[in-house]
Amino acid sequence: MTSGSLRFEGRDIPVREGDTVASALFRAGVRTFSRSLKSRRRRGLYCGTGECPNCMVTVDDVPGVRSCVTPAGSGMRVERGRGWPSTEHDLLHVTDLMHPLMPVGFYMKTFVRPRFAWPVAERVIRRATGSGPLPERREPTRTTSRHLHADTIVVGAGTSGLSAALEAAGAGEHVVMCDAYPVGSQVPPGRLLEAIRALETRARAEPAIEMLERHAALGLYDGPTVALASADELVQVHPRRVVLATGAIEMHEAFPGNDLPGVWLGRAASLMAAKHGSPVGKRVVAVASTEEGLEHLRALAGSGTNVIAAVVPAALVDEVPASAEAIADGELVSAHGPGRIRSVMVRERGQARRLRCDALVLSIGLEPRDELARMAPDEPVEIVGDAALGGAVPRVTGGTLCLCEDVSAHDAEQAWAEGFRSAEILKRYTTATMGPCRGAMCGRALAAFASARSGQADRAAAARTTARPPSRPVALETLAASVHEVIEKRTSLHQTHLAAGAELGWSGGWKRPFSYGNWREEYTAVRERAGLMDVGTLGKFLIAGRDATILADRIFPGRVADLAPGRSRYVLALDEAGYVADDGVLSAFEDGSHLLTSTSGGAEGMDARLREWTHRLGLHVHLLDRTSELGAILVAGPRARDLLHPLSDDPLDGDSLPYAGHGEVTVAGVTCTAIRTGFVGELGFELHHPRSRGPELWSALMRAGRAFDARPFGLDALELLRLEKGHLYMGQDALPDDTPVKLGLDRAVDMTKEWFVGKAALERLATTPLGRRLTGLTFDEGPEDAAVLRGMPVSAGGEIVGRVTSAAASPALGRSIGFAWIRTVDGELPADGLRAGEARATIAPTPFYDPGGERLRG
Amino acid sequence: MAELSTSQPVVTAVLASSEACARVSALPGACPVSPVEVAIVGDASITALRQAVQRLDPDAVVRDVSDGWVAHMLEGPGAREAFARLSELELPASGFVQGAVARIGVRVLVDGDRVELLVPSMLAAHLRARIEDECRELLP
Repeated sequence: MTSGSLRFEGRDIPVREGDTVASALFRAGVRTFSRSLKSRRRRGLYCGTGECPNCMVTVDDVPGVRSCVTPAGSGMRVERGRGWPSTEHDLLHVTDLMHPLMPVGFYMKTFVRPRFAWPVAERVIRRATGSGPLPERREPTRTTSRHLHADTIVVGAGTSGLSAALEAAGAGEHVVMCDAYPVGSQVPPGRLLEAIRALETRARAEPAIEMLERHAALGLYDGPTVALASADELVQVHPRRVVLATGAIEMHEAFPGNDLPGVWLGRAASLMAAKHGSPVGKRVVAVASTEEGLEHLRALAGSGTNVIAAVVPAALVDEVPASAEAIADGELVSAHGPGRIRSVMVRERGQARRLRCDALVLSIGLEPRDELARMAPDEPVEIVGDAALGGAVPRVTGGTLCLCEDVSAHDAEQAWAEGFRSAEILKRYTTATMGPCRGAMCGRALAAFASARSGQADRAAAARTTARPPSRPVALETLAASVHEVIEKRTSLHQTHLAAGAELGWSGGWKRPFSYGNWREEYTAVRERAGLMDVGTLGKFLIAGRDATILADRIFPGRVADLAPGRSRYVLALDEAGYVADDGVLSAFEDGSHLLTSTSGGAEGMDARLREWTHRLGLHVHLLDRTSELGAILVAGPRARDLLHPLSDDPLDGDSLPYAGHGEVTVAGVTCTAIRTGFVGELGFELHHPRSRGPELWSALMRAGRAFDARPFGLDALELLRLEKGHLYMGQDALPDDTPVKLGLDRAVDMTKEWFVGKAALERLATTPLGRRLTGLTFDEGPEDAAVLRGMPVSAGGEIVGRVTSAAASPALGRSIGFAWIRTVDGELPADGLRAGEARATIAPTPFYDPGGERLRG
Repeated sequence: MAELSTSQPVVTAVLASSEACARVSALPGACPVSPVEVAIVGDASITALRQAVQRLDPDAVVRDVSDGWVAHMLEGPGAREAFARLSELELPASGFVQGAVARIGVRVLVDGDRVELLVPSMLAAHLRARIEDECRELLP
């Protein structure tokens, strides 16, 4: 029967067909599978169905693996996680004896004084807890993510789940069925398993049922959506109906000694004896108060396990196998060690009685696995089978309440005495129910404790704490499977820029050239000759329909109604609080439509703003987002017109196409809307063209530009060009609560207009002190590269009064310049004495460069 | 398995009153993007269409917006499975749906095992890379 061996802490352990890691280790004599989180108490196999934390080991460097549900494989490397020097001999077990030093909440109570000691204590505590070290340098694995649509999802493939799935499929529904484990693998041989196998055969033959085994349901969300995780995929199921057939687990009770190795829940003992052929002990005491418990008792007896005594309700005494002594209506009091179970105390007709044993098997009630149902109470969920049971109320008389977090009944008592008097705050204070079992084992015990203490023992069910996803532990890499945060937008010139050796970087969701090698040369080309820039990233919107002008007039605070066809104008966009949200250029056309360009990063917000106000104002407007459809190239510099001239037969002179005007111009055979704008402060033509013609237009412009040594320029050169010209970068110079007047942009606001978005707020704000203002600064005695001043505080007389938002050394002006917001006093900026670091700062009017705008109008 | 191919479709945008859009939505290749916007994929006589639409809404906009869009076609028995890796949208047997595909707003035309994803040109390369990455075992 041996089918290989696994490697366990330096020795080879034989593996049999059908073994789990736990059954192989148990057969080889391992009894202590882990150490408890805080007190380092020995922990042995307990639930056997993948719920409790006791059997967690490290398999092939992955810690926290539940060995009782992990099939054993040949060549596996298995280690126990906690314990120093080893799990078998753990010196830190002394912490169990020092329990008074480590009360509940000891992080808050112990080691916090003296203060300097905490960093040391924290390091020690961190090393001493956890499930074992995380693997270092592990190969990254990839999980896939997919969505699944179905009429019905059935969670849990037991008899109830399989029956529900067959019924739904019979009614013509498409059914997704999932289970955390292979069908039937958690059930010991017997009548139940036979029933499951019969249903399974029918379900597998049914094409309308999609069976997802080894897919654990992590959570139930709005929609409804059910998230499932397997070893290699994350599945989000979107059903119309959810059927929960998650069954029930055997109840965990808190009594003295309940966590000793050798204390088993019935299913675990039965699986170990009947399926894996390893008796759980030589002298076994069973406590069975459920039907299922008697099945387990028979299975144990049938597999030759020596059950010396069975504690059962009087009515079931006759069902106890003859080999065992039946103790009618006995009460389990406590289990005793040391190290593993050696005896139990049972009260029989008022008399306490000690039974020597080496295993205690408990089947004392059922706890429905109902956490999914409790996650989304408003979703269309049906609960079938054992999951719908009311569930028994566990006793809490001592011992360990929460196995995962190592919270004892004593800890709960102490927390109660300190005033934490409901299940929810007991949970937060003691961390009970917050471990890997997610409260499946101990949630009811905690609720029972809290309701009993508050004198409302009958309301234990209502005292359950909130269930939250994930209902089972899941690797972060699985949850991250569907996440790809970065979305990369590209203009049609992307490959062209790459071929030209451009350094691309992120800007507003786009990959854009920052420079083509030497941004200073690019800057000089624009100021002295001509430069080309890809500005296809600008947001571009067609606003048409008979109310187009009304919409523009209402959305933008400036004067719009008088914008003549063929003219363009700088516009601000405010929100209703009067804060500047974006800016752009609005161009009017003969047919009453407008082309609006917005900042590259603000396009989506602008689209939403246009649509929202069209709707809110009830206007007849047609909106078309042309951002993707149109490319745009800025040709700027004193020779820009000379550069375009050979490529176009259309008039480009200052009368035909003046500054702040626009017109249709054919350049190198490409029909463009040319807008005369001046973000860089030179004669400029923004050529908006069909995206597909971008590369040929760019090439033609580059060829024509050779005569003037024209250069393509990127964002680095633009940063300086626009700063010299005193133009703001909305994302960089403006703050989220900047009004136009704070930014010095009040010229773009016409308060005499009847209404515009944000007007009421601006009127109110006009009566309050300004607070701060963005202003131009020149710097003296500062660093050579003034760019380092960006972000620096501005001080006056030792007091901080503002912050530099942009700064650079200007070749055109021969000095360092920048923007800063400065606190105002009675609406006035401080007159002098400003410093930014070592630099002396002087308030200066903007634009710094060409203040009269002669070059711009060119 | 599924084949992935990329093409440049002809797309006509119709922006008009909801009444006019409802009429246009019956045309082959029509994507009713909103009650007041329909995109028509495939060759369309713009002049005739504009005349027809403007009879119902005189200042309706009908224009060729092909440059704004790129089509990625997933085709073959694994096409729907590949799509499910990228989006939670439920695909009809045939017809039009729109929504997030790899977190991008995409218009989807479905015909059996042919799933055509219309993506804004500026995001076409990104979506293609996402498809190739998420569906790598499903593509040849």
